[in-house]
Amino acid sequence: MPTITVDGEQYQVDEDQNLLSACLAQGINLPYFCWHPAMGSVGACRQCAVIEYKDAADQRGRLVMSCMTPVRDGGIYSVNAEDAREFRGGIIEDLMTNHPHDCPVCEEGGECHLQDMTEMSGHTSRRYRGTKRTHRNQYLGPFINHEMNRCIACYRCTRFYRDYAGGDDLQPLGRNNQVYFGRQQDGMLENGFSGNLVEVCPTGVFTDKTFSEHFVRKWDLQTAPSICEHCAVGCNTAPGAREAGNGQDVILRRVVNLYNRAINGYFLCDRGRFGYDYVNSDARIKKVLSARSEEIIGSTATSGDKVHVEIPPKQAVRQLAERIDAVQRGQRRLIGIGSPRTSLENNFALQKLVTRENFYAGVDRRELELVQLLDNIQRDDRIHRPDTPDIEAADAVLILGEDIDNTAPRIALAVRQAARNRQKAHAQQLKIPLWQDASVRQLRGDYSPIIFAGTELSGLADIAGATLFDAPEKVARFAEAIAQLIGGADTASLALPTEERELAVRVTDILAAAEKPLVISGCSSRSTEILHAAGKLATSLADRSAAPCQLYLVFPEVNSLGIAQLFERDQGHLEELANRLQSSRDNTPTTLLILENDLCRRGNRETVETILSRADEVILLDSLLNETARHADLIYPAAATPESQGTFVNNNGLAQRFYAVYEGVGYIQESWRWLVDAVRFSTHKSAALSTVAGWQHSTDLSEALAREFSPLAGLAELGPDEGYRIDGLKVARQSHRYSGRTAIRAKNRVAELPPHQDPDAPMSFSMEGIHNPGLSSLQANIWSPGWNSNQSILKFQQGIGGARKGANGGIPLRRQSQPLPEWHFHETAESQTVDSQLQMLPLYRLFGSDELSARAAAISSVIEPPFAAINTLDAADLNIQEGDRLELESESQRYQVEARLSATQPAGTIGVPSGIPPLESLAATFPGRASLKRIEPDLATESGDSQ
Amino acid sequence: MLTNPLTKNIGPQNHATDIVRYQDNGGYRGWRKALDMAPEDIVKLVQDGGLRGRGGAGFNTGLKWSFVPRGKNSPPVKYLVCNADEMEPGTFKDRLLMERDPHLLIEGMAISAYAIEARTAYIFIRGEYHVAAARLEQAIAEAREQGLLGSNILGSDYSLDIYLHRSAGNYICGEETALLNALEGRRAVPRAKPPFPQVSGLWGKPTVVNNVETFCNIPHLIEMGPDWYRSLGRGDDAGSKLFGVSGKVRNPGTWELPMGTPVREIIEHHAGGMQDGLQLKGFLPGGGSTDFLGPEHLDLPMDYDVIGRAGSRLGTGTIIVLDDHTCPVGLVLNLSQFFARESCGWCTPCRDGLPWIVKILQRIENGEGLPEDLDLLREQAQRMGPGNTFCALAPGAAEPLQSALKLFEQDFIDHIRKGCCPYQ
Repeated sequence: MPTITVDGEQYQVDEDQNLLSACLAQGINLPYFCWHPAMGSVGACRQCAVIEYKDAADQRGRLVMSCMTPVRDGGIYSVNAEDAREFRGGIIEDLMTNHPHDCPVCEEGGECHLQDMTEMSGHTSRRYRGTKRTHRNQYLGPFINHEMNRCIACYRCTRFYRDYAGGDDLQPLGRNNQVYFGRQQDGMLENGFSGNLVEVCPTGVFTDKTFSEHFVRKWDLQTAPSICEHCAVGCNTAPGAREAGNGQDVILRRVVNLYNRAINGYFLCDRGRFGYDYVNSDARIKKVLSARSEEIIGSTATSGDKVHVEIPPKQAVRQLAERIDAVQRGQRRLIGIGSPRTSLENNFALQKLVTRENFYAGVDRRELELVQLLDNIQRDDRIHRPDTPDIEAADAVLILGEDIDNTAPRIALAVRQAARNRQKAHAQQLKIPLWQDASVRQLRGDYSPIIFAGTELSGLADIAGATLFDAPEKVARFAEAIAQLIGGADTASLALPTEERELAVRVTDILAAAEKPLVISGCSSRSTEILHAAGKLATSLADRSAAPCQLYLVFPEVNSLGIAQLFERDQGHLEELANRLQSSRDNTPTTLLILENDLCRRGNRETVETILSRADEVILLDSLLNETARHADLIYPAAATPESQGTFVNNNGLAQRFYAVYEGVGYIQESWRWLVDAVRFSTHKSAALSTVAGWQHSTDLSEALAREFSPLAGLAELGPDEGYRIDGLKVARQSHRYSGRTAIRAKNRVAELPPHQDPDAPMSFSMEGIHNPGLSSLQANIWSPGWNSNQSILKFQQGIGGARKGANGGIPLRRQSQPLPEWHFHETAESQTVDSQLQMLPLYRLFGSDELSARAAAISSVIEPPFAAINTLDAADLNIQEGDRLELESESQRYQVEARLSATQPAGTIGVPSGIPPLESLAATFPGRASLKRIEPDLATESGDSQ
Repeated sequence: MLTNPLTKNIGPQNHATDIVRYQDNGGYRGWRKALDMAPEDIVKLVQDGGLRGRGGAGFNTGLKWSFVPRGKNSPPVKYLVCNADEMEPGTFKDRLLMERDPHLLIEGMAISAYAIEARTAYIFIRGEYHVAAARLEQAIAEAREQGLLGSNILGSDYSLDIYLHRSAGNYICGEETALLNALEGRRAVPRAKPPFPQVSGLWGKPTVVNNVETFCNIPHLIEMGPDWYRSLGRGDDAGSKLFGVSGKVRNPGTWELPMGTPVREIIEHHAGGMQDGLQLKGFLPGGGSTDFLGPEHLDLPMDYDVIGRAGSRLGTGTIIVLDDHTCPVGLVLNLSQFFARESCGWCTPCRDGLPWIVKILQRIENGEGLPEDLDLLREQAQRMGPGNTFCALAPGAAEPLQSALKLFEQDFIDHIRKGCCPYQ
């Protein structure tokens, strides 16, 4: 390790770093703008200047930009030398000639890197006497505000957007001090990572428009570490909440990235950042609702819809308690349906209450099969589950059947970085340090091989070296062929068309030659064949190199893998429940307890109808009114992820805990608490129920889970329990500058109420407690003296870009190793096709396919209208043109969709967006068959809305 | 003996814009000779000739070429680029060469491309140079027709295509790496170094960028040899060069003269001295981005290092003369406006410092300056010093300003004291 001297102090530093990050890693405060820990150096802002001395005798030295200077063993530098300080102050003064003095009305104020750096540089007076240049701002869509007058032209936005995230509709325009960062014309930013501009911009040019809707200063936000619930990557987030004043309810104000080196690093996708607003939705359930006895009659209601009235929570809890008692007396059956979108703790509480044999996973047969298959593949010792840095280091990537840009966006961003590894290797040959971002990028050169085979490829199409667009069976066959080739099979033996065979040979050569090959697959094609083939391919690679092969598998929902641990193989799907209810001769009344699950999205219509109609009573615990709620007799308001504590298991089998950011308003509480309350009210308790009644803290459930399910043993070690203290204190959720504490509720009551006590975590819902960075991973308020912006994360890291101090970073499942089941591609008999029926293939969407985020106001405004993608040739046969109104008929349900012609949609298939309104109920039928019919324009106006 | 290799075809009568006349005058002999030589021998010969880059930096041309990777393991594609984006204020030498003797440039480029084993070459020409562009297009077409460009040139196994690209107009495109970006269709922003263009230039391939005049030196240097070439110079530097004079002299223009010709000789003899009633107050020796020198420097020879030691730069060798009836503040303001406008906007001192300088100078020129403005200007000029900014634009922009503040400080003070421009 080189030793450097900075202002007379000696430091041991990482030799692969530049001087700026070496200084920052040592805790030396040195201002910067254009450098970013994930994006490296480009030398644009000139803010990080220091003096470099030739040797000890050199008294004068030379001004250098520390971000562009490699550390030299024995190097002598000064940050505090007068010349360097003056230069840095001068740079700020230059920047300030055009930066408006609008901090009081700027949403960046209080967490502005420019404010921090200005303070740090010591520039305090204004000598510039001229006018400031002004710009016209652009409309950039519902997520991002644009205020170009504040721009200091650090180029971070376009470097992130274009270079790092692959966007092409944001660029620097013009020149000199008129340089403008915007789009060619007004319009929504097209890249799915645009929200990171908010955090990447060092000042208030790009700000969060959804936050503007209910803006407060950073120091007024109450925060806690959370996990994004909108996919299964498991990105760490720091949601912020605050009361609305005048005694109004708490609002979840925004979500920002919470650094986790192994998963999300510095960046989130737009679904994760802007999906939070569902929590504030008008459809939010805040009170206990009970169905009135009468059925409603009206034009808008379908038969079976119920009308609900508010009832006191105590009455509702009693009602459930009575059911529990009836079960104990053998007079009632309680059936529980769990959910892959809520915590293990909630699912576990329900399972305990209804017992294992009456507990169902809340997903259809195929999804459960897919999830359990993935779980099985991951248990094979030859599989290495790569974290995000591993993915970024891969030198060849094969993606099978998974459009990761939509299903696991953060992973797609990592793959985009992997595409540059060939370029990086070239740079290393030329002895160009990798942090010299502009130098490395200007080497140009080819991308590292990224190969895709599947139905649709969105964001990565520009870097994919080879693509094969085909139906899942064909993709699986292709993957299996590669697996065979890797295993040494003869090319001639492959039953593939010539073109595919050649591609298979090429891909095999690429994978075999790669040092760190990576295979990615997942559930979104709903094809078990693809997953089998992916597993086989990865294990063949592992066998060949005698080392585990990297395989990243994408699960359908945030906790799919977690709840799979609660079930035996092939047990617990909705079809099984429907069969049981249908064939049951038992006349015992049945109460269905549905946990945070809109069944209509997760089961096919027939199954769901059977389940709902066979139950005598439906009780729903959920956060938003949804299709299932229309059928419920009793609805409990359930806490959403940011309002509760619990555990999710991500794609990599990492169990991560999220903490309540704030207490849900109204009667909202965690689903498990409603269940426990009911059990406490019940009079007849079995031993098992007595245990349930004794649960006080979320961690009680986590620990019980750890005891009961060996793969989940790690849950007991996930974090400190409620009783933990640091220096006798809890961790404060509010900053010590939190304002208005006594005034905010004054309208209702002058006396200050005591803060809520968190029964689950050693954290306070107040300013009281510790605020020190680095002392605890529980702190999500990323702040350090002098560093008020998100840049202060560097004060929480072990070295720049290192793991977060004190973080456990999640605990992997402890699954028993289990070899991959033997599998060979079976020729499936052509399923019986009705004339003119085509196979429907799901197209997953960044916005709209995920249940909860689709209900966030901003996201709901950008969900695509329902469409059907058809191969251009098929369209010609069917006489369908782009934009035609079509009727899609599947399992006797009809939907109106717009025709979208595609050159890549596999022939004989229809691409249907998964889960977007009003096609939600199709999601569980993929890859079923459907027919398409063109609606003549005059008919379209008559038939009205889709069925 | 030939003493004016650059302009031997340029005169009132004998300019050779077509290939017949050019070849009648001995044109393409250097190219024919070069094709019989080994490429590395050409590099050596140019290096020995002591030719220094005529674009302004004065780097040894052969040495620059020698950094291009060579041999079997080197990248198969290499590029040669001619920097014809002549936008330096006060500079009009390349224009003369391209308009009046386009084949000389084509021949020079062909030899140079052969020397670095490039098979594609580009001329990046200033957008406003319509006549030069048309004549170069014609020259390229003629050379191709004659088999001097294209595939298997003159029966050899060497092929070369030259393409002309007209700039969309930006001073920064004269910076060689910004030029490469512009040529690739990217923003004209200078690139980080390393990697240098010789290793990774146009589209990431090894690339040599040279100035028009530099290329025009090559054909005769090859034909006549390094000893002849070195003997052309009067001082330390080899060869001849186009020198020019603008400002209030009797006969502004450009002339080919030996390297090392004294400034006085250029201004008084060739440019005919100052116009009646005017005195020389100072001069910029090598274009708008060089430091002012004073009358005491008139006897210096125009050599790279001599002018450098005097505190300025030889630059493009085109002198801008300041007389005693022209306001130096106005002149510096004019130049600063140009540089502020032409800043690419990449780094702070240039992007935000130059417009501030313009505003201060404008105020001083309007009689609204404050005494503390001079310190502010000095501070700004210092902040834009070499190494402090990303490329050489801002340091170049600072040179006339910082030297004017030294040489003509009293003029600045008079503006502020009198509250108006004393020259008006």
